[in-house]
Amino acid sequence: MTANPARPVSPTRPGRPGRVGTAVATAALLAFTVLPVYWMVTSALDPGANTRGADPLPSGVTWDHFRFVLDEGGFGRFLLNSALVGAGTILLAGLLALLAAVAVARHTFRLRTAVLVMVLIVQMVPLEALVIPLFVQMRNLQMLNSLLGLTVVYLAFSLPFAIWMLRGFVAAVPQEVEEAAYLDGCTWPRMFRSVLLPLVAPGLVATSVFSFIVAWNEFVFAFTFLQDDAKFTAAVGLHRFFGQHGNDWGPVMAGSTLITLPVLVFFVLAQRRLSGGLAAGAVKG
Amino acid sequence: MATETPEAPRTAEDPQPGGPTPGRRPPGPRATAAARARSARAARRRRRARPWLLLAPALLAVGTLLLWPLGRVVWMSFQDYGLREIVSGRTNFTGTDNYAEILGSSYLWTTVLPNTVLFAAACVVLTVVLGTLVALLLQRLGPFWRNLTAGTIMMAWAMPAVTGTYVWIWLFDPLNGAVVQSLGGLGLLDPAATNWFTGRFSFYAIATLNVVHHGFPFVAVTVYAGLLTIPRELTEAGIVDGAGAWQRFWTITVPSIKPVFLVVVILSTIWDFKVFVQLYLMPGGNGANPQVLNLGVWSYVESFAQRQYGMGAAIAVLLTLLLLGITVGYVRALFSESSGEKGDRL
Repeated sequence: MTANPARPVSPTRPGRPGRVGTAVATAALLAFTVLPVYWMVTSALDPGANTRGADPLPSGVTWDHFRFVLDEGGFGRFLLNSALVGAGTILLAGLLALLAAVAVARHTFRLRTAVLVMVLIVQMVPLEALVIPLFVQMRNLQMLNSLLGLTVVYLAFSLPFAIWMLRGFVAAVPQEVEEAAYLDGCTWPRMFRSVLLPLVAPGLVATSVFSFIVAWNEFVFAFTFLQDDAKFTAAVGLHRFFGQHGNDWGPVMAGSTLITLPVLVFFVLAQRRLSGGLAAGAVKG
Repeated sequence: MATETPEAPRTAEDPQPGGPTPGRRPPGPRATAAARARSARAARRRRRARPWLLLAPALLAVGTLLLWPLGRVVWMSFQDYGLREIVSGRTNFTGTDNYAEILGSSYLWTTVLPNTVLFAAACVVLTVVLGTLVALLLQRLGPFWRNLTAGTIMMAWAMPAVTGTYVWIWLFDPLNGAVVQSLGGLGLLDPAATNWFTGRFSFYAIATLNVVHHGFPFVAVTVYAGLLTIPRELTEAGIVDGAGAWQRFWTITVPSIKPVFLVVVILSTIWDFKVFVQLYLMPGGNGANPQVLNLGVWSYVESFAQRQYGMGAAIAVLLTLLLLGITVGYVRALFSESSGEKGDRL
């Protein structure tokens, strides 16, 4: 007795109990995933956030907490600083990573594998190991309390992964397209600008989103390097604010919401390209 | 030239790619094979140098900001390096004293190392199991629900570690937190007598929840991408042969995408050994409660709270060596798994 031919064998179309199980599992997963974001946003809007307890719905809706963190907490300045650092990181990392990705994806040269392995190993180095010497280095260069110094550090951290991702996008451009450009008399820089760059632009956008998120979310270096309130990035600003208003959960959650929302929007917009790039970087030679 | 690239010999006859275009500077009637050979050689040299020119800025940044500091941290770990040495710039070598002190202390063996290893192991196992289950679930969903679910779990991934940690602290807050209040409301515990942040085990349970919640989407998305590469016929053949879902998972799915599993397991291991923010920001995690430090936080606290930069550097070196061992194991497993033609997948 083998499988009943009347029954479909596709694993994607299970029977009724299977469908109910799938629905329950999906609902549980979505609830677990969304819970922190939901709790954060609703607490930020709740006028009585501190006494909310386990109430799933906020007791009302108010913008007071947001007003408080923007006026008194200085979050406007923190968010601007984070945006500046993020923009600088995107520009530098995008340019450097693209050049390196072309080298790694297009040219077969000795040590190509070595470069790739180095990219991987660099990815593995713990940041705590680097924060000590970089602190001393930046201190000697008088760049400790500067957003530029932070940008340069973030550049180095987002580079290996950006090269890794962009490599997949560059490798996906057919070699024939480049050769056609050469036959039309293009020099290499011209080919790069007019042929390769437009074709890998979507990958560049995805990589930029990633670099931006690295810079926006980073805490350890910003916390160690920046000493001046006016220079704080959003993550460090939130930490300072939590230290001063520790049990005032409405404003703390409002600040958290302000930091989280830009990242969520970016991420959801670039989500497919990002995961596509991850897979391409990992699989395509 | 044994290592000649495949394109290079072709350049000799066809100097267009990259080289100076011959159309622009046509060789005179007397210009002979010698001149042409010279320009071809120049083109080849430029072609050989180009990858290095393209790589140079990135290598420079990685070298000065990652590799050089990595060398410095090793150099500092052999010194009694404090605030005085930073200011004066003088060295103060003490040999392997820092390492001897760390490896000889019972604090490392009874507290920090168990914290680091057990916490990382719990996080990796839970992240990979949950991520794999979610990937299998995504496979069963229709396109609409699949996109919706994938997009939603991405939100957990995107949430910054700093804000995510504060939300979990708020959820588990001993006074007004949702979890304590709801369990207290059910009469399961006394909210006034509960503080989960002070106990070593409950502290790490909350941190594990935080890290798993943040880390499982990466595993889910990567494993799901791997599942798509398994030919449908394999699964159908398994069903025809009467294999149950459990058996099909272990005999068909796992062997087919073993490299993908290796990648997510090792990356998760490395990330979870390095967890810093999620522990440091928790109440007591910044060194106030020595029972809950892991290697990374210990190194940071030694350096920037105690100003024992040499000691902190030595701890950081030990952590790096631990991770390096894991990485080497990973690369070796990957290469032995796909020796030969798949070896260049890296």
